[in-house]
Amino acid sequence: MLKQATALAVIMTLAACSGTGTPAEETTSAAPEQASETAGRTAGYNPDRNAYFGDLHIHTRSSFDAYIFNVRRTADDAYRFALGETIQHPSGFDMTIAGGPLDFYTVTDHAEYLGILPAMDTPGTKLSELPRAKDMFSTDPDKIVAAFQGVGQSVRTGKPIEDMYDLDTINSVWLQNVAAADKYNQPGKFTTFAAYEFTSVTTPDENGGFGGGNLHRNVFFKGKAPVRAFSTLDSTNPEDLWDWMDAQREAGMEVISIPHNSNVSDGQMFRLETYKGEPMDTAYAEQRMRNEPLVEVTQVKGTSETHPDLSPNDEWANFEIYDQLLGAYVVGATNGSYVREAYRNGLKLQEEKGFDPFHFGLVAASDSHVAGGAYSEEDYWSKIGIVDGTPVARGSVPFPGTTGWDDQPEDNQVVKNATNWFSRWSASGLTGVWAEENTREAIFDAFRRKETFATTGPRMKVRFFGGFGYDEAMLSSANLSHEAYEGGVPMGGDLVGTGEAPAFIAWAQRDPNGGTLQRLQVVKVTSDGEEVIDVACDNGAPDPSTRRCTDNGATVDMASCTPENEGASELKVLWTDPDFDPARRATYYVRVLENPSCRWSTWEAMRNGTPPRPDVPETIQERAYTSPIWYIPGGLRDRKTI
Amino acid sequence: MTDNTEQVRRWPVLLREPLVHFILAALAVFIGWQVVSSGRADEERTIRVSSADLERLASIYTAESGSLPAGEDMVAMVNDYVRDEALAREARRLGLDEGDTIVTRRLAQKMTFMVADLARTETPDDTVLRDWYETHADRFTEPQMITFRHVFFSEDVRGASATADAEAMLARLNSGADWREAGDPFMLQRAYGDLPLREVVRLFGGEFAQSLAASPASDQWTGPVRSALGVHLVQVSANAPPRLPPFEDVKAKVLADWQDQTRREANEKAIQDIIARYKVEVEGINAE
Repeated sequence: MLKQATALAVIMTLAACSGTGTPAEETTSAAPEQASETAGRTAGYNPDRNAYFGDLHIHTRSSFDAYIFNVRRTADDAYRFALGETIQHPSGFDMTIAGGPLDFYTVTDHAEYLGILPAMDTPGTKLSELPRAKDMFSTDPDKIVAAFQGVGQSVRTGKPIEDMYDLDTINSVWLQNVAAADKYNQPGKFTTFAAYEFTSVTTPDENGGFGGGNLHRNVFFKGKAPVRAFSTLDSTNPEDLWDWMDAQREAGMEVISIPHNSNVSDGQMFRLETYKGEPMDTAYAEQRMRNEPLVEVTQVKGTSETHPDLSPNDEWANFEIYDQLLGAYVVGATNGSYVREAYRNGLKLQEEKGFDPFHFGLVAASDSHVAGGAYSEEDYWSKIGIVDGTPVARGSVPFPGTTGWDDQPEDNQVVKNATNWFSRWSASGLTGVWAEENTREAIFDAFRRKETFATTGPRMKVRFFGGFGYDEAMLSSANLSHEAYEGGVPMGGDLVGTGEAPAFIAWAQRDPNGGTLQRLQVVKVTSDGEEVIDVACDNGAPDPSTRRCTDNGATVDMASCTPENEGASELKVLWTDPDFDPARRATYYVRVLENPSCRWSTWEAMRNGTPPRPDVPETIQERAYTSPIWYIPGGLRDRKTI
Repeated sequence: MTDNTEQVRRWPVLLREPLVHFILAALAVFIGWQVVSSGRADEERTIRVSSADLERLASIYTAESGSLPAGEDMVAMVNDYVRDEALAREARRLGLDEGDTIVTRRLAQKMTFMVADLARTETPDDTVLRDWYETHADRFTEPQMITFRHVFFSEDVRGASATADAEAMLARLNSGADWREAGDPFMLQRAYGDLPLREVVRLFGGEFAQSLAASPASDQWTGPVRSALGVHLVQVSANAPPRLPPFEDVKAKVLADWQDQTRREANEKAIQDIIARYKVEVEGINAE
């Protein structure tokens, strides 16, 4: 069993290259349009917009790499979890969402072989009679691994396994997922979208070997959805996916895709060439931005904001870094894998060639494969299923029978996987959206506007505006948000220069059921540099010479994981860039840091009565990232890309 | 290095301690199994769990979870084992295994599917549903909903004087000062209509929600009330307690809930009936 579980862990992810399939033409639609959602305003409508929280990345039993790890929860279960009901983890314990129900939630099962493994494991189906099915659900670990590996390889290479590629089953499970989303969508209360994951991975070799670059993205339909999902078995090339999405949009089905885990893309996600290695051009950038206005910046498999090697002057850059390529013990390339560097390269491309393929906003998700996301450090269950379902499997407590952290059996598969992978995963994250009301229409429109922010799990709220007429008095105005909207642009917007210096309003509010705030930062990116600037602190104004807050001395009582200091409930500031150059493009986004709190691994060690794992931090600073505001010098406004 | 062989070898020793709890807990389970089975306790109808089986179950548990099974874990594993074994034998008895050498687990699964099919979905009459509605009222009750306005005083801005500033503002609000312009800017809304209590918790924290929940509806401003965000004055204009809608309004929901529960119970009962046809012996435990 041990061998079985750990061997499966090795093959839990996929890779692919060499996509040659042509995009399928899909114009018909099946799912009924939600009738009530545009009919009128729902309760809670706010013209100055409310903050809604959700998870846009959830897998269930219909995903091949969930079912194999004993995940049996359905899309219905997933939505019930988001609404506050308790569901079961494959290891048998109960999962209940931390912090109360979410406002929106999206099941994004892998489109590749969608629902095929459950069908193979259902007696009486044709698929269950396949030799591969007998192997996959046998008790022989070698057969299981070989059978499953074949599936992973097919997903990576884009070459279907003919007898398993049963489109009747795949399409019918897709429509079941669409129907489940429709069933749980309640305008004004809870929003869902028809969605799926397109699971493209570059491979280092023809045979689909492991250690490739992750190019996964999730595809979301605003309302009506097509009768089938375009997967890597159609083409592994994301640009072919965009062609297909363009065609869906033409046919009246508005759609976006959101890439994730650029941190394990081996430099591929934000590389400065097309998929086939050709130079990018305006048409490429326009198509990419038309289809991918957002990027997932943090999730269980690490945070993709930046890396200490890329941002040596950012003291907070070394946060939940995870750079082992999927299913491998190989560290991927850093350049091309992180969001902040992509913003810089985008500006560079814009200045040199006149287009920016990286003009995207930020969201976060869990990528849970057990139908329910683990967002809380205090109550964490990682994401895969039986292979990371216990503290030992995750490496937060020493392996049974050992005396401590110096005495770990390093060649043991469980220990190896815990060390390289699971101990470095995170209890993260959630997407925050500023929208007038909780409907598909309003939330999807916010995605399009990029009026979104990403948190590492807590529900702190952040507003960020830029404008030319803002002044200090606005900060105490009763109608601050309204006036800020009137006189400028919110996060995700382009601020077109007038010749004068813009002012920014950054405003963060703690999670009322979480930790308190330490500092509010602006991250400024230009085509040749970046700077992190503290703009508001828990303990007084930042030092103007260092542009840093003074240390607020916040600590955690490690015996109980209780924070020992109260930080701020709110941080709010009017900020102007002291180095502003009206003639240069600049990208500004806000980062909010909480006071330190125990990492999930520390909570688990404390409960186990053993010392925290030494090679991961004992405490972390939970944080939120906003989508940027792009300053564009007057007269240089880009053509509209959406 | 501590390898798995060593882990397993240590098991007989390790098992001794949880075994005490295990026996006590297991006995309760076995008593149920004994009731129906005594008449036909022949060899075919005996599921024997040997100490080797127990050891194997324990080592699987350790390998999968990385921790030692507690007494209740062992009970759960033995229950699962017996369940699978009983269902598998029943399936073989019905000839489901012909030409199929697949393992016990899959046979048990096949049998489970068959059992699930047996439980038909009925629509009971209103008396049954009404009774269900009354005995499970909590499932159909709508939450407490509060309609309120609030004026916010930020402690991050005002420090310790936030409370005094709020107190000073209270009388002014009650004599007609404009609440929309009072206090500090609030990031979210200043007025909420019919907000479910748990939403109040999400937006303001538990302490504030508790205060609001206990506030009677009035046109007067009251406070200061503390939240996780600062200090507030509040005007609660409606406070609707949790409410059980009339049966007719939620009948469809009651039916769905009844059917779901009945189906689950019928499935479980069918499986328990099958298990009850077997006598269970666990080595080292005297069940009689």
